[in-house]
Amino acid sequence: MTVDIISILVIVLIVLAIALAFSIGANDETLSTLVGAGVIKFRLALIIGGIAVGAGMFSFSFAFVAKTVGADLLGETLTYTDFMLLTVLISSIFWLIIGSFAGIPLSSTHSLVGSIVGVVFVYAITQGEINPETAFNWTKLNNVILGWFLSPAFGLIITFVLFKFLAKSYLSHLKGLDQIEKSEKYFKWLLLFAVIFAEIWVGANSGEALGILYGLLDNGSLSFESYIFFALLCGISSCLGIYIAARYVVRNLASQMINSRPSESLITQISSALILMIATLLSLPISHSHVIVFCIIGMSLAQKKEVDYKGLGKMAIYWILTFPVAAILAGFIYFGFNIFGLT
Amino acid sequence: MEEISDKELKKLNISELTHLFVDNINEQNLKLIEGIEFLVDENFEKFTQNLKYVIETNTEVRIKKTFEAKIFKSKLMFSKADRLKLFNKINDIKNIGEYFANKMLLYKVVFPDDEFKLQIVSILKSLKKISNDLAAAIKTIRSDLQKSHDICENIKDERRKMRKEEWKLLNRLYNYDMDYLSRTFLYLKELIEDIMMLADHIKSFSEYIQFLATKYLIFD
Repeated sequence: MTVDIISILVIVLIVLAIALAFSIGANDETLSTLVGAGVIKFRLALIIGGIAVGAGMFSFSFAFVAKTVGADLLGETLTYTDFMLLTVLISSIFWLIIGSFAGIPLSSTHSLVGSIVGVVFVYAITQGEINPETAFNWTKLNNVILGWFLSPAFGLIITFVLFKFLAKSYLSHLKGLDQIEKSEKYFKWLLLFAVIFAEIWVGANSGEALGILYGLLDNGSLSFESYIFFALLCGISSCLGIYIAARYVVRNLASQMINSRPSESLITQISSALILMIATLLSLPISHSHVIVFCIIGMSLAQKKEVDYKGLGKMAIYWILTFPVAAILAGFIYFGFNIFGLT
Repeated sequence: MEEISDKELKKLNISELTHLFVDNINEQNLKLIEGIEFLVDENFEKFTQNLKYVIETNTEVRIKKTFEAKIFKSKLMFSKADRLKLFNKINDIKNIGEYFANKMLLYKVVFPDDEFKLQIVSILKSLKKISNDLAAAIKTIRSDLQKSHDICENIKDERRKMRKEEWKLLNRLYNYDMDYLSRTFLYLKELIEDIMMLADHIKSFSEYIQFLATKYLIFD
């Protein structure tokens, strides 16, 4: 009977991980700059973006962010139980749903890592023989949290510097509207490659879905072959997420970007992609939305445009709160499971 | 201005059509101004002839239709909306000019005195200047937004000067010893106000061009 429950739980976790991969694709707005600039046809943009995200997700599923989320955040002697993984998923999804209903933009990465911390902490306390101090890989956890602060800051700096350089060396020399339009035409095509590059790293850094699968691999619930198969399914699912569901977000945002300059979009996309690439190669899960927001701020600062510091402060509070709230929520849920003997 | 065939119109690009349109509208403005100068000289025949020209020409309708068809399918995604707005603003000048001409043709006024005539001619001279400057500013958008911006600054200065002239003229009109026929008073009052309406639109247009320059130019 216990075996049956565990088998069902593993299936549920795999299905949820694939669904999570779909939602990662569905919420991806990276393509909106490309569609807004009218570089390629809408459907083609969705297909290219979907393939890039899916390919990025699958190609980096063997280690990197997936391994960090699925194994490396825990102490050496610890692996996730299936109920721990289930709690992590329930808690992070629940907190994100609350955030969506309240209209608060939250980071799924922060929510997931916060949930992991909450679950592992309660697990360590309730299991007795595990010391909460050794339950975590503190170096890794510290690096991840440090990455959350450094990645937006570097996003801002890189965007600022890149724009200043481009403005000084090229954009400021453009005089007439025809000349500007012509040069922006070339930037549009560069933007296509920048967006593909960005999408690959968006997929590669999206450790939420693959982290869960990696947890199942790490605790022996999945064989390596099965892991690869389901990682591939996650990649396909995120691709479908973009093609089927992200079209509404992309179309909506793109319609607001008709007047935006492809050269500016190019710089924000390159900056965020670089940050995501470095974070992925360092196996650090970071928030793509935080990075892109700070890249846009960097662009505004470089152009001496006004920045809504009040709105930004409000957003920052939610960003900081996400981690502890998700941890507490996950801790309570897992404690509830414990009461019923589901550990 | 020479008539241009539909075939030739279709060969022109968005910028060229805008230039042709602005040349056309500017020419009509100049005809309108010249017509009022004829009115000042009490040359009613040439006055009527000029103002009818302003009302009756239809080349701009053909240019407008060609432009609208082109911009709709244009791949200029980035500046498309602004170019369309720019074109529509030029068209607004045409509408104001036409309305102005129609109104002025309702009556043939005799001006009260030479001083009034001189002041009207002076304000018309300013109108001619800002109309020509606007046409130059629009044409320069294509090649030098900074220059367009500077021309527009001159337009704003000239319009400010015109506003002062307007008050002087209205003051003179309201304070004549003799009580003029209501038609003459009304006509002259509307003439002054319509000149300023056209000037105000040109000024607002020049501010729009300055907005475009601010939007598109990047300074290091």
